[in-house]
Amino acid sequence: MAEPLAPTEIRALARLLGEMNYYELLHLRPDAGSADVKRAYHATTRVFHPDANRALEPELQEAVRRIAMRVSEAYSVLRDPRRRRAYDLRLSEDGRIRMQLAEASNEAGRRDASERGGRTREGQRFYKMAMADLKRHDYAAAARNLQTALTFEPDNALFREQLAAARSKGV
Amino acid sequence: MAQIAIGIDLGTSNSCVAVSRHARVDVLPNAFGESTTASVVNIAADGSITVGNAAKANIIHDPKHTISSAKRLIGRYFFSEEVKKARAICSYDIVEGDNHSVRIKVREEVFSLPEISAMVLREMKSIAEARLGQPVSKAVVTVPAFFNDNQRQATKDAARIAGLEVLRILNEPTAAALAYGFGRGLNQRVAVYDLGGGTFDISILEIGDDVFEVLATSGDTFLGGDDFDDRVIDLLADHFLSNHKINLRQDRFALEKLKVAAEEAKKALSLEPTVEIRIPDVATTPSGETLSIEYTLTEREFNTLVADLMQRTFKVCDEALQQAGMVARDLDGVILVGGPTRLGTVRSGVREYFQMEPRTDVDPDEVVAMGAAIHAASLLDQGGEAFLLDVTPLSLQIGVAGGLTEPVIERNTPVPIEQTRTFTTFNDYQESVSIRVYQGESRESSENEMLGHFEFGGFRKGRRGEVEIDVTFEINTDGIVNVTARDRATGEAASTRITLSSGLSESEISSIMDRGVADRVATAKLPDPGESQDELIPVTQPTTTQRSAPAREKPQARPATAPPQAPRPAAAPAAPRPPAAPPRPAAAPPAPTPPPARAAKPVPEPIAEDDLQIITAVELGDAGIAAPGEGKELSDELDLADIEGLESDGQAEPLFDEPGTDLADDEVS
Repeated sequence: MAEPLAPTEIRALARLLGEMNYYELLHLRPDAGSADVKRAYHATTRVFHPDANRALEPELQEAVRRIAMRVSEAYSVLRDPRRRRAYDLRLSEDGRIRMQLAEASNEAGRRDASERGGRTREGQRFYKMAMADLKRHDYAAAARNLQTALTFEPDNALFREQLAAARSKGV
Repeated sequence: MAQIAIGIDLGTSNSCVAVSRHARVDVLPNAFGESTTASVVNIAADGSITVGNAAKANIIHDPKHTISSAKRLIGRYFFSEEVKKARAICSYDIVEGDNHSVRIKVREEVFSLPEISAMVLREMKSIAEARLGQPVSKAVVTVPAFFNDNQRQATKDAARIAGLEVLRILNEPTAAALAYGFGRGLNQRVAVYDLGGGTFDISILEIGDDVFEVLATSGDTFLGGDDFDDRVIDLLADHFLSNHKINLRQDRFALEKLKVAAEEAKKALSLEPTVEIRIPDVATTPSGETLSIEYTLTEREFNTLVADLMQRTFKVCDEALQQAGMVARDLDGVILVGGPTRLGTVRSGVREYFQMEPRTDVDPDEVVAMGAAIHAASLLDQGGEAFLLDVTPLSLQIGVAGGLTEPVIERNTPVPIEQTRTFTTFNDYQESVSIRVYQGESRESSENEMLGHFEFGGFRKGRRGEVEIDVTFEINTDGIVNVTARDRATGEAASTRITLSSGLSESEISSIMDRGVADRVATAKLPDPGESQDELIPVTQPTTTQRSAPAREKPQARPATAPPQAPRPAAAPAAPRPPAAPPRPAAAPPAPTPPPARAAKPVPEPIAEDDLQIITAVELGDAGIAAPGEGKELSDELDLADIEGLESDGQAEPLFDEPGTDLADDEVS
């Protein structure tokens, strides 16, 4: 079992949450492999899991809880290669240390999709037509084409996003 | 006396309670020596409440006042499919309460689902207290991993009404994995295949030293042993209809008899290749002749009847494995949980699907309660003996324009977790923004489960787009969702009004507790309470030895002849039940029950340092809810897809861009 934390350490770390990137939080090198990420998550969790800190006074429990939630977030991004790439890119571009999970997924999905405008030939075709529809402000037609594109690639985040946009403008 | 915390597996059909002390885990049997207690509640004319097999015996002669499978209804909306289905087949009265909630009407009394579950939980608490000879006020209560926030919150409310402080709402498969792997120094990847009475869960876990990490979980809360019974009921009813031109489905008494017979037959098929089903006097012809059912059901015929149900479980398994990024052969073991996993067709199906022999050294009816007990003991100390790293089973989403949703926290994200989204006002000097929260995997809001409709007001007023509100969605280690809001510029907490959920309000809970509903549960006394001082009396064999016995050889095995007319005795479960049930004093609290049911005060949610207002889903407003699809009154609602200009602040969600423009240009030009 890990050493219990001193209150000063907990408070200091909770304050530092706004400045530490995910690698720093988990004590990982930027080139750490997936096994390292998992090991680090387990090790950090042993210290910060709310279950291990039930005896603390409420203020410290709250601090630990916030650290634990950030640890989960860091792990959720770093364990997923696509999210991790999106995060690394963001970190190197402007040094922002947090990335919302949905944002990381969307970013990854957007890059994947924009590289090819879809994975399938049909998906690409209808997506292209939808983009042309949007250009001439025919939102209903765009929505129809995007919907068709989605039948070929139901999990394509870009298609969905565009569909939502087309629908909201169409009404 | 040392504090004690118990683990309770609150099942659809049966419940089980266990305790972990001095490095050993014991299942606590009820007064009849049964290690599980039927999750059935009977409310007598004098208002007294009986829980367990004694209540279940009433299903045939008092079906209107006997409530079974309440877990299928807990935390659901009245308009949901499951409730519609239950209303068609249940013998008790299911009525609609406030905010589209489900209520059960028994004579002149109306009960919420948490109250019904509280009666079962109170019985389990009393059983534990009788066995342990001391009051018990703390528990870990398990739920299906696939339960959504409404169902978890309602279960937590039930425990509070029963007088229990909930240390943790724990996922059933995770509890089973804990009971299986705790203290064994394993390093394994396992699947927990949990087919209960009303729900199916699959969890993929990695067990290493002291960490139990759930990699993925999936499930179906509409699939369980009850559905297997239904297939047998249909078979018998169809058979009877074609032979006698009488539809037994229209006769509630006959239907209850079919239900009992079907369940017994299913259990018998776990042990024998064929079973003789006999239901004497099931119907009367217009000419006054009484008719019976006699049917020989073979295992092969039964397997055919349920083959599609088995396939549904494997589809769910596919999904979980895929989410965990694994294939079946990556696993080191498969743990079976739930009574129906005793069936030959389940065992052989699992063997074939996972390409390995499933583990049968843990009793599938007791393993969840045992895991809950281990976790309860560990939480009562400092915790830290085993870390359970669980995930959220369903994606948390927010409603956006066009009846669609956008994910905020995807399924299988480890908990606890929080995510923040920034919202802004759509109109000048708008006074509030309103956010609808859903759980589910669909893009269409109507296909997801609505958790709540949160309205934030009290922030500074400004021109459209000027005021930015950070809304934080948090899922805690119970899997329960909290939502908080804050004005980004001032850091001021926005006030909140929650206008929707299917649970009970804080005031309803306290009024229920004041009425002492759970105190009316009359628990059967132990055969000889004198002996039960501090030590546990192993009425059944000690659990430790049971664990190594193959489940198929369990003593509960019994012939599956359906009960004749008389309530229960003929079909009485064999061995341990004493010749006559001890007297049940109506409404009188049983001797060993500790005094006030209301000992456990609601634990106030911690307030964050920066003084966010934390709102739990339990604090419901009284206002009516907007059913999915009906959103007209939300005129000042934030229209996410129309928000512009948030990109520049750097924190904006992709949702807020104008996705149509830049990409479209790239594509077309």
